[in-house]
Amino acid sequence: MAAQAGAAGRLDRWLGRLPLLRGRRPEALPVRLDHRRIYVLPTRLGLLVGGVLLAMLLGALNYNNNAGLVLAFLLIAVALNSAVMAHLGLAGLRLDALQAGPVHAGGLLSLRLSFDSGRRAREGLWLQNENGEPALLAGPAAARLDAVLALPAVRRGRQALPRLRLTTTRPLGLVRAWTWIAPDAGMLVYPALETPTPALPGASTPGQGRPRPDRSGEDTHHLRDYRLGDAPRQIAWKASARSGQLRVREYETGAAQDVQLDWKGLPELGTEARIRRLAAWVVEAERQGRRSRLVLPSGVLGPGRGAAHRHACLQALALLPTTPA
Amino acid sequence: MSHSPTARREMPALPLRRVVVVVAVLAASLPLLLHLPGPVAVGVAVLALLAGASALRRPLPIGLRVLLVLLASGGVLAGFDFRLGRDAGSALLLAMLLLKLAELRDIDDARRLVGFALFAPFAAFLQDQGPLTLALGLLAGAAALFALARLAHASAEMPGLASEWRQLGMLVLLGLPLAAAAFWLFPRLPTPLWGLPENAVARTGIGDSMSPGDWIDLMADDSPAFRVRFEGPRPPAEQLYWRGPVLSHFDGRTWRRDPRLAVLPPPPLPAAPDGGIAYTLTLEPTDRRFVFALESPAGWPPQLQMDGEASLLAREPLRGLAQFQLRALPVQAFQPQLPEPLRRAHLALPPGYNPRSLALAEAWRAETPDARGYITRVLEWFHAEHSYSISAPPLGRHTADGFLFDTREGFCEHFASAFVVLMRGAGLPARVVTGYVGGVRNPIGGHWIVRQMDAHAWAEVWLEGEGWVRVDPTAAVAPERIFDTLEDRGGGGIAAGLQPMFDLGDTLREAWNHFVVQYDALRQVQLLERLGVRNADPLRVGIAFGLAAALALGLSLALLLRREDRERDPLQRAWRAYLRRWARRGFGKRPGESAAAFAARVGRSVPEAAASLEALVARWNTLRYADTAVSTEARAELARALRQARPPAVGGS
Repeated sequence: MAAQAGAAGRLDRWLGRLPLLRGRRPEALPVRLDHRRIYVLPTRLGLLVGGVLLAMLLGALNYNNNAGLVLAFLLIAVALNSAVMAHLGLAGLRLDALQAGPVHAGGLLSLRLSFDSGRRAREGLWLQNENGEPALLAGPAAARLDAVLALPAVRRGRQALPRLRLTTTRPLGLVRAWTWIAPDAGMLVYPALETPTPALPGASTPGQGRPRPDRSGEDTHHLRDYRLGDAPRQIAWKASARSGQLRVREYETGAAQDVQLDWKGLPELGTEARIRRLAAWVVEAERQGRRSRLVLPSGVLGPGRGAAHRHACLQALALLPTTPA
Repeated sequence: MSHSPTARREMPALPLRRVVVVVAVLAASLPLLLHLPGPVAVGVAVLALLAGASALRRPLPIGLRVLLVLLASGGVLAGFDFRLGRDAGSALLLAMLLLKLAELRDIDDARRLVGFALFAPFAAFLQDQGPLTLALGLLAGAAALFALARLAHASAEMPGLASEWRQLGMLVLLGLPLAAAAFWLFPRLPTPLWGLPENAVARTGIGDSMSPGDWIDLMADDSPAFRVRFEGPRPPAEQLYWRGPVLSHFDGRTWRRDPRLAVLPPPPLPAAPDGGIAYTLTLEPTDRRFVFALESPAGWPPQLQMDGEASLLAREPLRGLAQFQLRALPVQAFQPQLPEPLRRAHLALPPGYNPRSLALAEAWRAETPDARGYITRVLEWFHAEHSYSISAPPLGRHTADGFLFDTREGFCEHFASAFVVLMRGAGLPARVVTGYVGGVRNPIGGHWIVRQMDAHAWAEVWLEGEGWVRVDPTAAVAPERIFDTLEDRGGGGIAAGLQPMFDLGDTLREAWNHFVVQYDALRQVQLLERLGVRNADPLRVGIAFGLAAALALGLSLALLLRREDRERDPLQRAWRAYLRRWARRGFGKRPGESAAAFAARVGRSVPEAAASLEALVARWNTLRYADTAVSTEARAELARALRQARPPAVGGS
């Protein structure tokens, strides 16, 4: 059976190279699944049942056994219809959104694929990448189906999505309909963080101010609208209740908290180790609520603070070439 | 059980629903179980319960399973007297299928088991194609499909049973057109490629031997032997002698068909190119070649042949229902010239048997030299001193002596056997003829049914200058027992009250036999001719099937796609229909155009419709996009309005 699987895998790869069959370049969203890219073949159970039905048909024809013919023809017709239904289970589906949570190298990229199922109620659709665990498409409403795939994020930087396979064997498990999807989307993988977390470099400008003692007054910070990714503890609940919209506190912070994270300040480390250290510092500074300024060969970020700044820094680190010029 | 890594990777193991698997396998076993002989059926049923119970929990231990395999095989073989034929093979297959159930481990086992279980109903169809068996077989098919559908669900998506049946019903309904096209038009084989599996155990019924008293079971069997439909005038019930095997060889106890006589060329029969009584004979399967034709046969189809003793035989054993068109002429003596070897063969009696009978025959023959006079004397003696009894006591070594002088009661077998002994003892060539007599007309269907209990044995005596003449000694004693009807036997009461129901059931069965079971290559050609296809050779049948199948598939596909396209929201549906009506007037809503913009554009071109269109669009926009919750009534009302709204005919077109 293993040999069979290996052969199937080889055949698969070989088919993947055929330009007419499946040689699709990574494609932009939305990806619509039409009949040209849906393949239907019997499963092993289907082959077995097909064999049984064929034997029944031959026997019944030979003996002109009409009861046997009725049963055989009915079951064959149902099996054919189940193949059509498996095909229709995929046809017309549209992948229209991809969403990936932030992940550091070495972690699992959690990729949410969102499908528009059209007017058809669909069930039993499984999505998987080459070697990963399959995920069942499910949705709160019949019109929208989501699946979350956990993809290993091996190294920092832009990670191309692997080719994904969408499979169904419904309604009877006799045939498998499948299609390959290669969405043209690179997922950003942050650098891995150095562990244990190194201490932040000493205040780059010592003595220059300290955190403002008073952070409670209304005027010490301003409020802005909630943005995706804001921490719940930053939400100003009272103000939100008054305005009817989620508001988030943004603190006025003193320059005294600034940390300078300098690429050139770490000559003793190799490139990747430096990136890991800097990434860990960026995260740590953000955790402590301090402004950070990241100085990289490619440019300077900050000083700044907040999710956007953090993302910009980690992105810049992630995208650094392996051997910086 | 090993798994292929791909199979495991592709989908996580789906939940195993043990109950549906057990139900599917048991349902598949039922039709076959009902056709097993009693003791075997009981054993297999016990096995089914045991295996089913184990499948619901965990597999039986391997030792117990091996023991059960041995027990089941041994039991089945013993139940069939160690004669391995088709029925024993089916029973063995069924037992093994059930034993597989006792080792149900995972979902792959379950699926394979359900797939293999489909064989069981087919094995049952090889034995019987009646409506009950077919219905049970189709139910088994449905149960298997249901199990496959259940086994294809992830637990998160397991639908309710009702919803599952609905989906399955849809699948089957959509399969009906193709199945129907295939059933009637798939090219049938005019002759089988290989023979039917031999059945080692013969069915009950008239065979090629008879000894007095061995038909007691047969006389109580009311299952049909054959059905007859007369096309023109039919003879009176007293003339309905259905002639079967002729038994000329007597060993003192048993009458047998003489193979040496059977291979002789058929005797010359009174010829009649046409005319006579035309009828269609539908014989139940017997696994034998005998055909029971009305005396005396005058025309028969090429599948039949006549043997040297004027019995009709099919060229192949009748393993399934068989139908023949036959003609009969009023019975008369035949074969006036009897060659000497034949004469000797029909006078032979084993030495040392029935001395008293032979002494009587010689004495009476000397007193009554006229053959007919002698026959009459014997019949009168039967009438005066012997009585008809279905529960005749067993006879000793001298069966004729014992019956004629001691017990003096018996039924047709005793009378025919003793009568022929008396004839041969008196120097008159004679033989035993077996077959059926009479039959009951079904008032609903208009056909005649002849049951096993109508089995009869009579005699033929060869008279100088005349030929073979039929003599029925039983009729001399108890004519009412031969030519009676079912009502006479049932004695009225409940059975008589139920008779119309029996008649109706039998009529349906006859129609079933005719329209379903008997449909074959020939009838297929006739059907196509009625549809206008002349000279339907296999190629044309194939083309007709291809066209019909394409049509059926197209129909199923169209229905499937229609289901897909059907918008579920009635308001949305009405809105789209409304837009389509405008599009037919030449005003299609452009993609990306808002409803309001569309209304404005159309309103400019068709001012007379502007007001109503804008009102509808405003209501549509309100209901569709308004913040507030919209009442169902308002939606229904707008949907109604949209359905009724008709764009006016435009600009003189």
